[in-house]
Amino acid sequence: MSGFHAFLHKEFLEITRTWRIWVVPGMILFFAVASPILALATPALVASIAGSQPGIMIKVPEATAVDAYQQYLKNLNQLILIAIIISSAGCISGEVRGGTTTLVLTKPLSRTGFVLAKIVSQQVLLTASTIVGAGLCVLVTALLFGRSPVPYFLGAVFLWLLYALWMIVVMTLLSVLFVSQGGASGVGFGVYLLIALLSAWSPVAKFSPAGLISGASRILSGIRPDILPAAAVTILLALVFAALAVQRFRCKEL
Amino acid sequence: MSETPAIEIQSLTKLFGSNAALDGVDLSVPQGSVFGFLGPNGAGKTTTLRILTGLARPTSGRASILGQDVVHATNEVRSLIGFLPDAPGFYGWMSGREFLRFAGSLFGLQGAALEERVTVLLDMAGLADVRTRIGGYSRGMKQRLGIAQALINAPRLLLLDEPTSALDPIGRKEVLDMILSLSGRTTVFFSTHILADVERVCDSVAILNRGKVVMQDSVKGIKSRRGSRHVVVEVEGDPGRLEAMLRGEQCVDRLERTGDGLHVFASDLAAAQSVIPKAIVAAGTPLRRFEVLESSLEDAFVDLIGADTRP
Repeated sequence: MSGFHAFLHKEFLEITRTWRIWVVPGMILFFAVASPILALATPALVASIAGSQPGIMIKVPEATAVDAYQQYLKNLNQLILIAIIISSAGCISGEVRGGTTTLVLTKPLSRTGFVLAKIVSQQVLLTASTIVGAGLCVLVTALLFGRSPVPYFLGAVFLWLLYALWMIVVMTLLSVLFVSQGGASGVGFGVYLLIALLSAWSPVAKFSPAGLISGASRILSGIRPDILPAAAVTILLALVFAALAVQRFRCKEL
Repeated sequence: MSETPAIEIQSLTKLFGSNAALDGVDLSVPQGSVFGFLGPNGAGKTTTLRILTGLARPTSGRASILGQDVVHATNEVRSLIGFLPDAPGFYGWMSGREFLRFAGSLFGLQGAALEERVTVLLDMAGLADVRTRIGGYSRGMKQRLGIAQALINAPRLLLLDEPTSALDPIGRKEVLDMILSLSGRTTVFFSTHILADVERVCDSVAILNRGKVVMQDSVKGIKSRRGSRHVVVEVEGDPGRLEAMLRGEQCVDRLERTGDGLHVFASDLAAAQSVIPKAIVAAGTPLRRFEVLESSLEDAFVDLIGADTRP
């Protein structure tokens, strides 16, 4: 693990100096503010559209804090995950293509340290962004709706975060396996769609990362799902995929 | 007891499918030398360097750096070397100073010692006053920064892969001057296909062709063994008569016509220097030029590899 800390420091410095600070963190913060506002405005928007059509009357129930949280969770599950897939797809292959690996890996930095620093830096960035985003969303929701089921919301965000951290490991593995960022993104998007489909199939979802997605929605609806098997399998798979990424990268000729 | 070689390679083979990039390479590089690793494009120079630096694995054979096996003792080996690849990739968002700090920190350097080394190396590379980020550097600046980062750990062995290719004459001179300034301080092993660079800075050389080392010696030794000194004679008018007279001389190996000139390759140069003037007088042709030409590394290289370099 020699050189790991120096390389991890470089990764954090790179995050603050490049586009990486703006994409996933920027989107998370944007939707943390926009989701409650959009939830509040939705009934008025629907009513105004319906009112412009003679003979049509739609009754939309008044928005609640739960709607605001569900809106935010939906954005996390869709747009933010896609952003994570695209931005993580080149984390290893980008350095290999750019020729920087031939400089850093001929110094006392192990390939294991290189891959792990990539995973850790992305996960730290995502975790910090998610914590700040969740806090911001709670604050804006409280300002717009008053009291809200904050513990349920935080539970749902936690499950989403666990799933997104797993997705970062998947994308790191794909970035080792695929030379092109496009190829890794494509396969990553396939994994994302597969998990989204599986989340609707309870027997499989219960014992896979898909259970975290469906579990997050159910927590927000006030149901307490048994997410332990899904969480355990997700963590186990993340460890296996991380080990596989390290093993494949160690075998790679640069 | 003899000193451990800086690089020792034995029967090194690297196959890509059925194609042998390296085919039983044997090489020994003494410590303290500036060693040129010469060969045409595709000879296997970069593959050899990739194996030495741990970026690739050999199919068979072994290679060691300062006595340490490059396949197994990876971090121990890497702490002893500095490496500049043929197309170094830098983080464009960093400044040169930041990159050198980062490179030093990978070796565990920190604090005042690191800062001092970074300042010295930036100064040596002529980049001390450059404020732009690396993304805005010219190719020559990147190459000089590449050498500076390869020296950050004060390596016992500096490996440079084609350090002067694709540089303009000024950039090339700057890089060669940097290499020359390291002579005697560290072992420098650099691959190139530019013969003039090797003649200028190297004391020893190995010539690689089609994955095999075809010769290893001092630059002087290779020139004297393979390149042939010869006499150039230019006369007024047709040198045909002179050529006919020299053709029968025992000391003359070979004659080549170039316009008014005649290149006389001799097995015994001293004898030829005496025979040729007599032949000129006998032929009655006015002399314009008589010159004994020293052989160059290029002569030796062409003699060794020649047309074999092209499929």
